[in-house]
Amino acid sequence: MEFTFNGNLIIIPSDVIAGWISAIIALPIALYWITKKYYWPLVWDYATSTNHRKVGTLYILFSMLFFFRAGVDALLMRTQLISPENQFWVFQGEKFNELFTTHGTMMIFFVATPILIGLMNVAVPLQIGANDLAFPFLNLIGFYLFLTGGTIFFLAFFFNAAPNMGWTAYAPLSTDSFTVGPNNNFYIFGLQVSGLGTIFAAINMMATIIRLRAPGLKLTRMPLFPWATLITSFLILIAFPVLAIALLLLQFDRLYGATFFLGELGHPVYWQHLFWIFGHPEVYIIALPAFGIFSDIISNFSRKNVFGYTSMVAALALIGLLGLMVWAHHMFTVGLGPFSDTFFAVASMLIAIPTGIKVFNWLFTMRRGVISIKAPMLFALGFIPTFVMGGVTGVMLSSAAADMQFHDSYFVVAHFHYVIVGSTILASFAAIYYWYPIMTGMKLDDKLGKWHFWLFLIGFHMTFFLQHLAGLNGMPRRVYDYTYDDGIWAYNFISSIGAYLMGFSMLFFLWNIVKTHRKNKQVENDPWNGRTLEWSIPSPPPEHPFEKMPIIERRDMFWWAKINNKQIPTTENHRATPISTPTIQPMFLSAGLFILSFGFIYGWLWMQILGGIMSLGTFIIRAFNDERKSVYEKEERENE
Amino acid sequence: MSSKTTSQDLFHDKKTGFFIYLFVEAIMFSTLFATYIIYTPPQVGPHPSELFELKTTILASIFLLSSSGTLLIAEKGLNDRNMKLIMAGIGLTFLLGAAFMYFELDEFRKFIMEGHVISTNNFLSSYYVLVGLHASHVTFGLGWMIVLFIQGKVLPFNLFKEKHKIFNYYWHFVDIIWVIILLVVYAPYLM
Repeated sequence: MEFTFNGNLIIIPSDVIAGWISAIIALPIALYWITKKYYWPLVWDYATSTNHRKVGTLYILFSMLFFFRAGVDALLMRTQLISPENQFWVFQGEKFNELFTTHGTMMIFFVATPILIGLMNVAVPLQIGANDLAFPFLNLIGFYLFLTGGTIFFLAFFFNAAPNMGWTAYAPLSTDSFTVGPNNNFYIFGLQVSGLGTIFAAINMMATIIRLRAPGLKLTRMPLFPWATLITSFLILIAFPVLAIALLLLQFDRLYGATFFLGELGHPVYWQHLFWIFGHPEVYIIALPAFGIFSDIISNFSRKNVFGYTSMVAALALIGLLGLMVWAHHMFTVGLGPFSDTFFAVASMLIAIPTGIKVFNWLFTMRRGVISIKAPMLFALGFIPTFVMGGVTGVMLSSAAADMQFHDSYFVVAHFHYVIVGSTILASFAAIYYWYPIMTGMKLDDKLGKWHFWLFLIGFHMTFFLQHLAGLNGMPRRVYDYTYDDGIWAYNFISSIGAYLMGFSMLFFLWNIVKTHRKNKQVENDPWNGRTLEWSIPSPPPEHPFEKMPIIERRDMFWWAKINNKQIPTTENHRATPISTPTIQPMFLSAGLFILSFGFIYGWLWMQILGGIMSLGTFIIRAFNDERKSVYEKEERENE
Repeated sequence: MSSKTTSQDLFHDKKTGFFIYLFVEAIMFSTLFATYIIYTPPQVGPHPSELFELKTTILASIFLLSSSGTLLIAEKGLNDRNMKLIMAGIGLTFLLGAAFMYFELDEFRKFIMEGHVISTNNFLSSYYVLVGLHASHVTFGLGWMIVLFIQGKVLPFNLFKEKHKIFNYYWHFVDIIWVIILLVVYAPYLM
């Protein structure tokens, strides 16, 4: 659509107009629905509460929303690629670049990472017998930073300025010499803001696990999901600051005329180093929590404790350590030289060993177990073969010589979808079914869950298995077109059908949630006959469930107490619980950062200053509005 | 729950969290140090040895490093619950930090007046980003000290003490970063 405004010719593609129209229609309906159902107090409660369960639920809710958005991007891509020389709607050329960039970036940063942080929020404190995270206020800040970053990135599309350089933002393409306009500034600020939130979440998790465990719950007795959380947090603390600085340098290149990654003076390869020093650990940041979730679920639904607990922890740590050392295996074709390529190839292959240990331990956990196949367990069972296939192609890719052939083909696309969907996405679904009673006090419908699983899994393998073959037949990634002569039509056609099937399966998930909440049937305590501490309390748990802290004497203490018909001993005299009160300060901060980011994206100085003042103002407001003030005052009076 | 230990427990939580945060900062600064080392000395444009001045660097360092010393006065007051000592310590630290910022900004101003700006070459870009990030940390610390002044009057002492201690860790950390900046950024090109 074209029109003149202020004497300028403005061209708006029809998909953006469609986006605006659907937003304008959907938003009032949503607001009307909330008003009519008297949900505003509930919304306000969740928006201001610093309770870990509520914050975690919000994380999960919004990452699921972003998941649908990024999923629609994927479906649009598959529609464009469904047949040779296809001209679907407007998605050719630059528009296709925007599609795959937003799909990749959203899925990694605004779906996979936050949904796992949300699950950690819901489960980890309860699994270690803590009443809340160590810093409830910071926790809500972290969530709002994620939401703000995600919203900034999401809105780019509505201003017809979606980022278009690929999710890796390779320089020099990402510098303003090659991609002019605000598009890629949205990428920088969306990631910068949400990345800060991720760092805060990791600090919070780490401090919580170090300081707030129940008495007697030594690290060697901790369930595997908190263990995975601890190691993941450590990886975040190394990876995300590097990303923050990389984005800062890119920002200076784009906005202030620096040439870090550009021209004769800069090194484009330096961007790749910085990006992959972040990006490779990121793979494990989203995979390790999934391993933790599956370990807990498989052990729970097999009625057995985890096989080889110590080796499971060691494998987690080893994968984390090796994950930090192998970033250059994304850069074999850059020309770093044979020594470097060999080192990174060997180090990458080594990761297969601890991963293999984990896979066998999961299988041994199920061996001779009393397996009950409920929806969460089904997702765990689907995960094992899927993930193993992703691992095998990973070993293929880690061979530097072979990688020269596979590089930037659909083989790579297939590989990382097997790994990431196979671990993170299946784990998130499994965990949502598993911990839904904790989040809401209700249980999702098992039958619909099974439909969701089977359609998703079949669709998934249809989509991505054939992409290996398309890749081996020479289909490069990031293209929007191919010809009849390329011989990849059938692969692409079936692949697209599989993608629709995955999309279709998500409707079962949505319907499941709607149906469960319509029925509104509260579950009894301990609905899965669980082993870990989060099931020893009512579902959903009260704000401070462990008023008397349990004393832990062994692994799977709750299970042991159940089968031996004993009570878990408790103590009155334990460490203080973190203090949390509802607060609107995070909203104010996120508004400030939102304004600040748009100031930078469009280069409006007044807006940068306004947003900066608002953001820094939060620190001052916070300095004099500490929720601990009254508690400390009371303590001082009592001690005198 | 015995209320006597609440503030201690929560302070230790906060200390743990803040040290982890400082680790994050350390990673950020090391990335910038790496950037500086990669791009310095530059192939074209001004060489660092032409720009840096021994006098400014030494004066700035004296002010900033001694401010870590004056903060110890405040820390001593904190343990003895001596408000006058605390305020004197913060006041001195603030003045020394402000003096450091004067020299820092003066150096930036001088470079910019001479036409050595961020886009001149990659040495200057990485210099501005690295030293600038440190300078903004010092500026933030100066603002924080003003807040502490007021907090000392309005907050319960234990809460104030907690906030003060956290600030101390921050300020010492910023000083350590400056020492590394001295060694990596300035020292090789001043001799």
